Amino acid sequence: MKQKLEEILQNGLKEIDSANDLKVLDEIRVKYLGKTGQLTQILRGMKDVPAEDRREVGSLANSVRQKLEEKLSEKLAALENAQLELEMEKEKIDITEPSKGVKRGALHPLTRFNNKFIDLCVEMGFTVIQTPEIETDYHNFEALNVPKNHPARDMQDSFYITDNILMRTHTSPAQVRAMETMKPPFKIVCPGRVYRNDDDSSHSPIFNQFEALVIDENIGLQDFMIMVREMAVRLYGKNVKMRVRPAYFPFTEPSIEIDATCQMCQGKGCTLCKGTGYSEFFGGGIVNPAILEMSGIDSNKYSGFAFGPGIDRSVMVTNKIPNIKYLFRNDLRFLKQMR
Amino acid sequence: MKVSYNWLNDFVDLKGISPKEIAEKLTSAGLEVEEMSYMNEHLHDVYVSKITKIEKHPEADRLQVCSVDVGFKKVQIITSATNVFEGAIVPVSLEGADLVNGVKIKPTNFRGVKSDGMFCSGEEIGIDENYFEGAGINGILILPEDFVPGTKIEDALSLNDVTFDINVTPNRPDCNSVVGIARELCAIYNKPFKDFDVSYKTVGGDVKNYVDVKIETENCPRYMAAYIKNIKLERSPMWLRSRLHAVGIKTINTMVDITNYILVEQGQPMHAFDYKYLDGKKIVARQAKKGEKIAVLNGQTYDLDESVMVIADQNKPVVIAGVIGGVNSCISDNTTDTVFECAVFDLKSVRLTAKKFGLSTDSSARYSKGVNINLPTLALKRALHLVDVLGCGEIVGGLIDKINSDKKLEEEKKVVVSYNKISKILGVEISKEKMVQILNALNIRTTISGDVMTCIPPYIREDIKNANDIAEEIIRIYGYDVYNDMQGRLFENSTITVGQYEPRLVFENGLKNILVDSGFYETLNYSLYNASACDKLLLHEDDSRRNVIKIANPINEDMATARTVMAHALLLDVAYNLSVGNKDLRFFEVGKVYLPKSLPLKELPVENNRLSIAVCENGYDFFMLKGVVENLLLGTSLKCKLERSKEPYLHSGVSADIISEDGTVVGWFGKVHKTVLKNYDINQDVYYAELDTDYLSGLPEKKYATKEISKFPVVERDIAVVVDESVSNEALMNAIKSACGKIFYDVQLFDVYRSATLGENKKSMAYKILFMSEDKTLTGDEINVVIKKLLKSLEFRYGAKLRA
Repeated sequence: MKQKLEEILQNGLKEIDSANDLKVLDEIRVKYLGKTGQLTQILRGMKDVPAEDRREVGSLANSVRQKLEEKLSEKLAALENAQLELEMEKEKIDITEPSKGVKRGALHPLTRFNNKFIDLCVEMGFTVIQTPEIETDYHNFEALNVPKNHPARDMQDSFYITDNILMRTHTSPAQVRAMETMKPPFKIVCPGRVYRNDDDSSHSPIFNQFEALVIDENIGLQDFMIMVREMAVRLYGKNVKMRVRPAYFPFTEPSIEIDATCQMCQGKGCTLCKGTGYSEFFGGGIVNPAILEMSGIDSNKYSGFAFGPGIDRSVMVTNKIPNIKYLFRNDLRFLKQMR
Repeated sequence: MKVSYNWLNDFVDLKGISPKEIAEKLTSAGLEVEEMSYMNEHLHDVYVSKITKIEKHPEADRLQVCSVDVGFKKVQIITSATNVFEGAIVPVSLEGADLVNGVKIKPTNFRGVKSDGMFCSGEEIGIDENYFEGAGINGILILPEDFVPGTKIEDALSLNDVTFDINVTPNRPDCNSVVGIARELCAIYNKPFKDFDVSYKTVGGDVKNYVDVKIETENCPRYMAAYIKNIKLERSPMWLRSRLHAVGIKTINTMVDITNYILVEQGQPMHAFDYKYLDGKKIVARQAKKGEKIAVLNGQTYDLDESVMVIADQNKPVVIAGVIGGVNSCISDNTTDTVFECAVFDLKSVRLTAKKFGLSTDSSARYSKGVNINLPTLALKRALHLVDVLGCGEIVGGLIDKINSDKKLEEEKKVVVSYNKISKILGVEISKEKMVQILNALNIRTTISGDVMTCIPPYIREDIKNANDIAEEIIRIYGYDVYNDMQGRLFENSTITVGQYEPRLVFENGLKNILVDSGFYETLNYSLYNASACDKLLLHEDDSRRNVIKIANPINEDMATARTVMAHALLLDVAYNLSVGNKDLRFFEVGKVYLPKSLPLKELPVENNRLSIAVCENGYDFFMLKGVVENLLLGTSLKCKLERSKEPYLHSGVSADIISEDGTVVGWFGKVHKTVLKNYDINQDVYYAELDTDYLSGLPEKKYATKEISKFPVVERDIAVVVDESVSNEALMNAIKSACGKIFYDVQLFDVYRSATLGENKKSMAYKILFMSEDKTLTGDEINVVIKKLLKSLEFRYGAKLRA
């Protein structure tokens, strides 16, 4: 009897092992463990086993059944798994087919640059303000030390609406409006559109500037330079190089023009920077005391600096935009590249 | 402003300093050299030569073979020119020459006979008849007999100067002169200024016996004049012609050349009158009278009025003051006596007149930048010095010098500043000694005692008024390079300020990001447009947006008006993109419209910030756009309702206005009107939406108050009812909601079905209704009771029938 059980076990295990599909496996289960299965029959025949052996044979038979059942479920899992693998293999898809659903659009490169610049200004303690695009002659020129018929007006061809109202030619009136309404010390920045009566291949009659103004006690040109360098580093990376040139603005004195490594060619020299490796970054300087006084700020106590970068060029170089006119053309083929 | 190296060298010793270095130094001191040109750039390998023998070419009738002596060697030149002769002194270009007209010289073979180069005409050397006699003829330039063969042509013809074209900033009118620039170089190189000679001899007499000057306008602060008899109008000497040639001014004759010379050297415009044509021997500076006319040197005749200042004789205007001379009194070949004018005219007056007539002359350009009232004193004497040196006339004794009654000569003013303040402004350490040295070199006479610096700028430096001006003078000569790559602690010396964003910009950025996530691209459009946009968009005659702000001096009609409507720009963008083959367009723009409070503009207009959206895509519909708009408004606290839109450019049946609780129209969206699409050449449906971001960003922040979540499950039932087309979804949903009472949780329309079986003008609306109770699990019976009630209510209110 023992021998027969041993035989059943060995044969069963062998058959289970060699089963290669679920149907065969089930037949094996029936053959051994089914109602009329070999092992079931033995268990049924236990009553014929001598009483003294019954315990031993019973326990052996149970152990055989357990082993076969374990082996069966092991095999079952393996076969099911294999079958799933097979199904998945059949369901294999081309993962390079395009994605579905709404595709993301894109912000305009100018907005991206604006946001980056505004963020870094706010981090440095600047308050963002907005002032009118249609301005008074007073705020656009006179309060900035450019009286009517002053030669400096030649530098900015204006779009006039009436004798005293015009499209602002720069964001600098924001300086005046801030000084009129805010108490020093303060730092403001005003992003916005500006207008010049000037249209050719390298100029657009409408373009974008930032105006920033810092009024405090003890402000000097070196504070300005250190800040500008920090801004350049955050915008262009820490390898940026800076160069200072003298300049003239009616509302700052001394006035400077600051160049930074040309981002189009990384300083190697290109047509955009005319081979110099540098391109214009910021212009500005120490606020002319006459401007402070005109807007009611005590120039003996307070000083400050103001600067106004034109940003279209920076947007161009940081995004390698080949033509400044693309900024307003709104061609989907251009905009899509900004995703 | 153009100046030349040799001319500058008259006033500051530039020996050993290269033109290139000068250009760099001037630029870094704030006088940007925009262009530098070498007059001899195309004159290398061109020499003075003498033709020793001329023979006929053996093979060609029209060619001559010349033996030529170039001093250091003998060459053979073949020429077809007919004006050469044996013994003629001519310019010859030899191998390597690269002439101004692009011709490059190399030895050539003319039918078996070798030519070592080419004889040159005046044109090929870059000069004209005015500059050198014979240079204008159509043939070889025949040089004077005393020119020595072998001399470089640039030396022989004084074409060895270098010209700097300098961008002089408006604060430095004094630098619109050779002496002004020379002063700067003195400071840059710490060299003394070589003073110029203003001495001259007179023939006695008194100018006042010849001419009487009156100032009758406030626009003429000062008028100086001198009288010269028996003038000789000749070609000016070579050195003078060379100077003017270098700065691009044509030479005419001694008198005219002298006035131009003074303009460039001293920055003082002058004028010379023919004395015999001055009626009444009078010169009056006055405003013109209406009806007066003047024919001027450019061939034009202008109608004058009171806004124009003129110089007149007793009867008529003879010059448009500071701008251009009249033909009736200008110097000509038969002039014998002349009056020199050396005056100061108000820059505003000259600017306006030049602008009025669209005239720009060297004189008007100079006056427009401001001529100092003291300038004529020396300038006139300098001019007379040249008359004397050139021997081109007899100078009568005395000078006329009229100063307008309310003006006086500038006196030197002291500017007292603190050394510490200057150091603070600059933020870099510069010693007291260095500062004083720089200022004195700039002719700003400076002394220092303790912290106090006393500076006396020359009268001509009207721009120097305060410590900041002094600081700039110091640093621009000291060198701005100290600031290159400057590093340090940010805002080390200032008060901490807390940064703040601008609420509207933040709000708009939020909307932009939602749109970008929904597949939209941001566009930027000009905020100036063509007012015909209002017609294209079908705005009614009395639409307030037809009150547009017009630009007085537009570039063109397409940018002549500040926009009052956003839609125009995006429709143009759509049309453009379709025209270049782009498809599936989802665009938005954040921008302004400019709404005048009254016209013509008395006060600043309202600048209203708006978001506009346009979609042109196959399969897009009203409800997809509605979803976009809803998503945009979701984050706001706006409570609003929809009404049929009144926008004339939208499809009246497929569009909605968004009305806030206070009745404001916050925006609108819908399908664009077919006629409008036609106006923009768009042949596909476009959906458009617009929101007022000023209004929306001004709303109070949206507040959230969440409720407890029920412990009991949500139960779902679907119903479909058939109603008339006129019954709105909103009405049905509201009815369902109120009929369900307390256990209502949500209702969603999931299908709308129309068919012939339902009947004409009928639709089936299928709703999914969700029920939930706060305190028990709802049973089927309870739901059934509610459904029965709500169907009754729908039938009663809207004639709705349960769909079988």
